[in-house]
Amino acid sequence: MSHPHEIPNQDHGLIGKRIPLIDAFRKAAGQAIYTDDIQLPGQLVGKILRSPHPHAKILSIDTSRAESIPGVHAVVTGKEATNHFGVLPVSQDETALAVDKVLFIGDNVAAVAAESEEIALKALGAIQVEYEPLQAFLKMEDSLEQVPEELRLHPKTVDGTNIHKQVEQEFGDFDEAYEKALWKKRQTFRFIGVTHAFTEPMCTIAHFDADERLTLWSATQVPHYLHRALAKVMEMPMHKIRVIRPTVGGGFGGKSDPFPHEMVAALLSRKCRRPVKILFDREEVFYSNHGRHPSKIEVALAIDANKKISGLHVDALIDGGAWGSFGVVTTYYNGVLANGPYRLPNFRYRGRRVYSNKPPCGAMRGHGAVNTRYAYEILLDEAAHDLGIDPAAFRRDNVLPPNTKTINELRITTSGIGECIDRAVEASGWKEKYGKLPFGHGIGIAGGFYISGSALPIHWDKIPQSTVHLKVDLDGGVTIHSLAAEIGQGSDTMLAQIVADVLGLPIHFCRVFSEDTDTAPIDLGSYSSRVTFMAGNAARKAAENLRHLLIQAAADLTGYPAEVFVLRNERVVNCTMPEIQVPYLEAVRRAMKDCGALQTSGCYQAPPMGGKFKGAAAGLSPTYSFQAFVVELSVDLQTGKPKLHDVWAAHDCGKALNPLAVEGQIEGSIHMGLGQVLCEEFAYNKGNVLNPNFLDYRTLSPMEMPRVHPILVETCDPEGPFGAKECGEGPLLPILPAVSNALFDAIGVRFYELPITADRIWRALKRKKKEEAKSLV
Amino acid sequence: MNGTKSSAVHGPQATSGLRILTLRVNGSVYRCAAAPQALLLDILREEFRLVGTKRGCDMGTCGCCNVLIDGKAVPSCLVLAFDCEDKEIQTVEGLSLEEDGHLHPLQEAWAHSGGSQCGFCTPGFLMTSKELLACNPNPSREEIERALSGNVCRCTGYQKIVDAVSLAAKNMREWKEGGKQ
Amino acid sequence: MRLPEFQLHHPTNLEDLKDLTRKLQASGDCFDFIAGGTDVLPNYKNRLNPKTQVISLSKVQGLDRISPTCLGAMARVRDLVDHEDLARVFPGLVEAASLVASPILRNLATVGGNLLLDTRCYYFNQSEFWRASKGYCLKADGDACLVVPQKEICYATYSGDLAPLFLVLDAEFELHGPKGIRKVPAREFYQFDGIRRFVKNPDEILAFIHIPESAQNLRTGYRKLRARDTIEYPVMGVAMGLMTKKGKIEQLEIALTGSEAVPLWYGDLGFGGEPVGEDTAEGIQKALLERVKTYKNVPFPPGYRRSMAGEFVKELFLKLA
Repeated sequence: MSHPHEIPNQDHGLIGKRIPLIDAFRKAAGQAIYTDDIQLPGQLVGKILRSPHPHAKILSIDTSRAESIPGVHAVVTGKEATNHFGVLPVSQDETALAVDKVLFIGDNVAAVAAESEEIALKALGAIQVEYEPLQAFLKMEDSLEQVPEELRLHPKTVDGTNIHKQVEQEFGDFDEAYEKALWKKRQTFRFIGVTHAFTEPMCTIAHFDADERLTLWSATQVPHYLHRALAKVMEMPMHKIRVIRPTVGGGFGGKSDPFPHEMVAALLSRKCRRPVKILFDREEVFYSNHGRHPSKIEVALAIDANKKISGLHVDALIDGGAWGSFGVVTTYYNGVLANGPYRLPNFRYRGRRVYSNKPPCGAMRGHGAVNTRYAYEILLDEAAHDLGIDPAAFRRDNVLPPNTKTINELRITTSGIGECIDRAVEASGWKEKYGKLPFGHGIGIAGGFYISGSALPIHWDKIPQSTVHLKVDLDGGVTIHSLAAEIGQGSDTMLAQIVADVLGLPIHFCRVFSEDTDTAPIDLGSYSSRVTFMAGNAARKAAENLRHLLIQAAADLTGYPAEVFVLRNERVVNCTMPEIQVPYLEAVRRAMKDCGALQTSGCYQAPPMGGKFKGAAAGLSPTYSFQAFVVELSVDLQTGKPKLHDVWAAHDCGKALNPLAVEGQIEGSIHMGLGQVLCEEFAYNKGNVLNPNFLDYRTLSPMEMPRVHPILVETCDPEGPFGAKECGEGPLLPILPAVSNALFDAIGVRFYELPITADRIWRALKRKKKEEAKSLV
Repeated sequence: MNGTKSSAVHGPQATSGLRILTLRVNGSVYRCAAAPQALLLDILREEFRLVGTKRGCDMGTCGCCNVLIDGKAVPSCLVLAFDCEDKEIQTVEGLSLEEDGHLHPLQEAWAHSGGSQCGFCTPGFLMTSKELLACNPNPSREEIERALSGNVCRCTGYQKIVDAVSLAAKNMREWKEGGKQ
Repeated sequence: MRLPEFQLHHPTNLEDLKDLTRKLQASGDCFDFIAGGTDVLPNYKNRLNPKTQVISLSKVQGLDRISPTCLGAMARVRDLVDHEDLARVFPGLVEAASLVASPILRNLATVGGNLLLDTRCYYFNQSEFWRASKGYCLKADGDACLVVPQKEICYATYSGDLAPLFLVLDAEFELHGPKGIRKVPAREFYQFDGIRRFVKNPDEILAFIHIPESAQNLRTGYRKLRARDTIEYPVMGVAMGLMTKKGKIEQLEIALTGSEAVPLWYGDLGFGGEPVGEDTAEGIQKALLERVKTYKNVPFPPGYRRSMAGEFVKELFLKLA
């Protein structure tokens, strides 16, 4: 690394700078264009008819009356597009509209395109559907039973049941560890589902135009997967389809599948050759769900005589709802991602994901890792408590070292878990507070780790996971082409910061085009916390290739060897004789001499890694983020209502490319995690979603939020772009158990079921009082 | 700029009841034909194409569609358009009109403080914040949190939004006191 | 989401309003009044008993006054919160106003609208699609209650924050209708079940709320239960007015919201003349708990909501004593 090109861009470099996101002014001005803000000439309103039954056969659909209503331009049903799709090649179990069966209340049955919302709704009412209701599977346990074929939700299930995926793994010998343990406990935990609750409802516009090309504007995190799924469902070659991702109003995993409504809009548009927009009501967003799986997780933990974690057994039963979605991955993650941030010598896992007659579950921030993390960290806390060890010190004593391999062969490189614990403990005044606060007031700690991009791509194509193209023309502006989806997490800013830094330019030279499959090279999209690491590396390489061209141009112009030049302050500078400089624009013009506009490319492909056993790929990542959080709270003993005071959130993000953005990710993750632990519930009344609205699906308001103190731990990952790792999901993990552990410190009660609402705390306090009174007798 | 009615929006069956709606938005007069039950949000977005105001929940529970009506921040999804004919309406697009086309101090502060991530809630938050600062130029963090508690943000955890309002309040006080800018 | 079609009327004074309601009635039209819209419009969006004629009160003059003895029904809830005289005289009322919904909704919501709030229930406050898939309920489009299965009584919960305060203050509601003006004591206003709700006729508007001057002798307070400190309706709300003399209860008024289909006034629960103190507080708590009923149709378990009524009444009593 002694090459002069690597001299850091100290005086004006952008890496590590706290700068506004590049779209911040546009967004603050109200000028960012979201999908629903687009209005094409001749655009129609698309609406979807939804199933009122949780599970039923479709006997017939009569659309003739709907078709005859003036102003109705197209009506489609499932039979018109029967190709299956799904985000994972292994579970392609969705169709644009239900073909033979409906699988949940809200399932897509038919759709219309009409001149107005009123006409479209009238037309939906005129479609006659005959159903034959079937037994509905609403409890996870019911889906474990073997049932006749017609009661299976999908043709491909485990052994004639409604189990979608079953995973079993064992590393080491858990039974022996449990047998010999100094401390052990087995405990069942229950988690209700939660959902992303992004503020922008799903919206998509399809236009099958006169050139017979399909353009689809959609609020999506994964334009590439959407592109593929459209090609399959529409039976069109990919090059005839163009996907455009306008500004996205939040995703968190909830916009990371190709969705039926996107297929439906395309089908409607092809049928009437006019643009069709489908905008969801908030209620429909709940039916789309893809949120975190309701789960029942049994965990057994063993601690050996040296007070080290000696064994962990996780048995997770998770409720996938109607479709597969990312569920195979979720099934693995519930176990696999328990293998850090602590050393774990013996691990056994069984994971079962069932289909049920409810809106589908999928990937949500912290995908697959959150609920097991909660269970694990509660038991660790109990162990520390029972063994009389400070829970922070106990965790510190058990951390994975850097540059190691977990027992399930996850390759750990940099790890800041130790520093995270130390700094959260230090900043929070842990030692003065833990176990010493008055009754009703408590402090708790928990740790976590998360993948920084899935090392193995979903599709087994041998193409890079991220590619970035740069183009520079006479104006000197650097156009960055990428398909990494900006969804508010700041990925466009990350790309621009990296490219501008490498080229020694102010950031305003960069313009990011990351929304269009026609112009952008493939990037797999914004999920699994992969973008900073993968697209960031690709952008860095592309920029380095461009830098090389500019340096060569400066060398040609000045006669000095290329090796002595660096780029900084809009100049190509001879670092041995700084008075020898070529202005950036001059270097660009020279470099363009024989080829016109400059174009370079950079890409990223994760290195080979992992074991050879079945499912070895799950959880593999080129690097991992680590975190430790301390929470301080109090409980209103009269009502049970918890009040969060402070969160000290230490997160190893490798390198904070932009601390403002990293803090924003940490604070936002905490908000979402707090919602799950305290009050969010995707509740059902039989097959009906009980609370498909923002009044009763309760995300925390500003008034419930604690003061968050982000602590950025930088371990400078050698493979990360400028050392960076993920920061968008990991910081959600520790907040749930940290709150629960703080509640234990406050009132001496453990909570094995989420959410921990005021009434549950109040009931627990009452029970505790009764028990204490009894024990005094 | 005057909006013109496109009959498709409210549908032929509503045509008989259409009336001329005249609204004053961001200091300009807008006019269109609208059904009696038309909501202000629909008119702003679909007739006047003032799409900075966002549709989030349609039930007044998220604040994404907040506009100022006579200086008060309200969710435009719960306001009948014809109830507003004698009122002064301001949308996010109007914020910069007061600053000779430059961003309003709140908007500047929003960008610099990281108040937007996905940005979908931002226009609504800006309008609520503007009302707050008009009533209380020096709010505490707690007062800001309370004032913003009808607006939902799912990205930021609100901390940087509160930072932004505090910063804007400080800048606005300083500019006022110092007569700067 | 669009509203269902309706004709919208904008009377500008009470006389016009009277003429209009008379005319609509003569032609057999059903109509609703709309004030702030924060309750009516979400219900209309959900197609909950919408009417084809809607009378907006937004332009009717003279209905927005605020004083400690008289409130116009069109006064915005937010204006109550900001009213210094009112805050001095009836802190409980202003506290309750400050806890209504969220700041942006308080900017729209009116005092009258809050008092006439439609009752709430998980089976009712849902979209047309939702209710069709579940089966319609007694309160809208169906013939049986889905909370307590029977066909007579609707158990939807009254969830206004202000009503219990006006019950405590023994306010009178001034109703204006085509047949004239009448005053109904707040304590007789709310009756029946979750559908009928009150004695106001459909053609009458609530115009003014009169508060007797004697009510100013009461110290008032309000406690509200909800999951978050904003947006949500009370799933239990306790209002209290208390006057003590020489350490004894001279007057005690207790009222509840968020429990049954109407807000309920309990008077002093038989504790008039009792000494102020912990024992009496516990007695009041116990007496109230014997009377409070809650149903499983809004957030939080009924038992918890009931218990909180007891906790709140005790807390308020000790605080106001």
